[in-house]
Amino acid sequence: MTEASTDSPMIRVSAVDKYFGSSHVLRNVNLEIPHGQVVVVLGPSGSGKSTLCRVINRLETVDSGSILVDGKPLPEEGRALAELRADVGMVFQQFNLFAHKSVLDNVTLGPTKVRGLSRNQARQEGMRLLERVGIADQADKYPAQLSGGQQQRAAIARALAMRPKVMLFDEPTSALDPEMVSEVLEVMAGLAAEGMTMLVVSHEMGFARRAAHRVLFMADGEIVEDTTPEGFFEAPESERARDFLSRILTH
Amino acid sequence: MQVLIANHGAYLSGIATTLWLCLYSGVLTLVVGTVIAGFRVSPLTPLRAFGTAWVTVFRNCPLVVVLFFMAFALPVLGLNASYFVFGTVGLALYTSAFVCEAIRSGINSVPAGQAEAARSIGLGFTQTLGLVILPQAVRSIIPPLGSVLIAMIKNSAIAGAFGVGGDLYMTGTRLSSAQGEAVVPVLIGVALGYLIITIPAGLLLGYVERKVAIAR
Amino acid sequence: MRTGKPTVAALAAVTGLLLTACGGGGGSTEDSKEFTAPVAENPSFEEGTTMAHLAEQGTITVGTKYDQPLFALKGLDGEMRGFDVAIAEIIAGRLGIPADRINWQETPSKDREKYIRDGTVDMVVATYTINDKRDERVDFAGPYYQAGQDLMVRADNESITGPESLRDSDAEVCSAHGSTPSERIREYVDNSRLVLFDSYSKCADALSNGQVQAVTTDDAILMGLVSESDNEFKVVGETFSEEPYGVGILEGDVDFCEFVNKSLRIAAKEGTYQQAWNATAGRVSDRTPELPELRSCS
Repeated sequence: MTEASTDSPMIRVSAVDKYFGSSHVLRNVNLEIPHGQVVVVLGPSGSGKSTLCRVINRLETVDSGSILVDGKPLPEEGRALAELRADVGMVFQQFNLFAHKSVLDNVTLGPTKVRGLSRNQARQEGMRLLERVGIADQADKYPAQLSGGQQQRAAIARALAMRPKVMLFDEPTSALDPEMVSEVLEVMAGLAAEGMTMLVVSHEMGFARRAAHRVLFMADGEIVEDTTPEGFFEAPESERARDFLSRILTH
Repeated sequence: MQVLIANHGAYLSGIATTLWLCLYSGVLTLVVGTVIAGFRVSPLTPLRAFGTAWVTVFRNCPLVVVLFFMAFALPVLGLNASYFVFGTVGLALYTSAFVCEAIRSGINSVPAGQAEAARSIGLGFTQTLGLVILPQAVRSIIPPLGSVLIAMIKNSAIAGAFGVGGDLYMTGTRLSSAQGEAVVPVLIGVALGYLIITIPAGLLLGYVERKVAIAR
Repeated sequence: MRTGKPTVAALAAVTGLLLTACGGGGGSTEDSKEFTAPVAENPSFEEGTTMAHLAEQGTITVGTKYDQPLFALKGLDGEMRGFDVAIAEIIAGRLGIPADRINWQETPSKDREKYIRDGTVDMVVATYTINDKRDERVDFAGPYYQAGQDLMVRADNESITGPESLRDSDAEVCSAHGSTPSERIREYVDNSRLVLFDSYSKCADALSNGQVQAVTTDDAILMGLVSESDNEFKVVGETFSEEPYGVGILEGDVDFCEFVNKSLRIAAKEGTYQQAWNATAGRVSDRTPELPELRSCS
């Protein structure tokens, strides 16, 4: 997308530690994600995988270590941080659509206020994105009038409207009714196929097998396994990963 | 009732003075209170500390002390202005602490995810507050804010004692003690005067509240 | 609490400024008592009169203010000073009662008639303006002083020379709300230039810090404020109302009224009236008043 960034990874997390009070939620985490790679992060709840996702656009701060996005270190609070966040798309478990704005206005808010697009341009672009995620017919409704799956697809469209370099997904399907999970995963798989760099915190094994290039397994704040989907599902190396998988798969 | 009819000119001018005092103070206090509320939820520690100190000082200082400070300390420091300005500003500063807290409680009623989503698409702090948080907070801000503003109208009586002069309450004092009118009818007139201001103000706030509630 | 320190500092700053604001102009010019009234030796009075009763008793209870500089002020040493005090001492002296046998009773404005009528005091000398309404409830001897509404300005102000000079200026004038002077001044300044506080000392503050250009009330009160200001202020000296100060006594006590009037006349003739003035209010006023024409007592 931009200059000479191909030789540096899209995301580099180095020696990151984070505490919530006395609990150590990220322990010496090191991670590099090259351009175009789709990474799925698995792990039991409380393993620190959501936190890992949230420190990358500084919704949470770290206590030590460094994080680089596309070769640039995360800025402190302020304008530079806002600019960086505009380049990093984020999708939340609870969708977090702006409740007082229509679906289309949710999608156009960032492009008009941050990217400086005209209202018309932003609406055209926004409608295209809503079509792509399959909810163009809901454009004028308010979030509360949509189903969970529709809301999450709108949230993805909102993130894509910023033309991000990388997308972070923080358990995007965990709050959905089962019948709506696939419509969201389909959109995500489409994005992955187009070469978007993605970090996905999820329990969706099918998605991991189908769309991911790489699987991270986290436990107790550490990255325990870092391997291919096949490698992880067929032959997990650690006891904790085997234990996790056996409990997931027996359900 | 004869007192009211005979002195209706004095009462009307008292109501007008109080109304202007409250209008200026009201606008100023909404602006200051909103800015201070912004400080209190700001990511920057110095701004948060300033906001907290502001609220602590003005919420815990009696209004008379604030007004006394405006009217007698500022001129000593070389800052001269009319007592109307001092009264307006003093009343606004005092009230801003309560406006701030009403707005802040409204801000806190908006789920944290809304701000996170706003920040995630690259909105700055002010944009997040102005475009995403406050519009959603308004609904829960209006009722406590209404109480704060009506309390401010009533508190404006105290500004009269600090040289503002000619406000509704001081008009009552003048009629009863300098012109020797009977106290009770004079005060009934003063009370009616305040009701003439506060009841429409309450109705207006109710209207705004309904209006905001529908826009969702 | 994280912000405890800045909060305390801010409060301390506010408090400090307030103290500075209140503390200005407190220089007192009270010095030792310079006036002593002559005391008659064994005066005789007609049996059954108030004078005979008081002379025999050897003491008198006088109602006065405690907080009126130059007229009646109780010092920190407990000593009473001022022109009202001296007038009371002159009257007591004619009864053969020396100053140290006078019982002083603090008498605020609102209690003056009540104290006379219920016998709490034998007489009231307390910047007590004679008017018809009061005359209905008590009697007045005197007047012993013709006060009047005046203006006080900063000592270097040459432009305000009297109430008329206010008409064409943009000067702001301060008075006490609800007072008679605050009503009378409206003849000369409109509402927007009239600043009203609950006390004249606040007006003096406002004059001192440039918020107003003049303070108006009775000259007696203004002279007191001048004396407390270390001559930062001056009284313009052109009164524009008549406030005759009288000695309040029980209604119908014509004998006592005539006795008080006679005492005042003698004091004026002998020069003690003038001495009393010069030792008190005369210290900040250029003029020495004449004893005004006395009312008839019947």
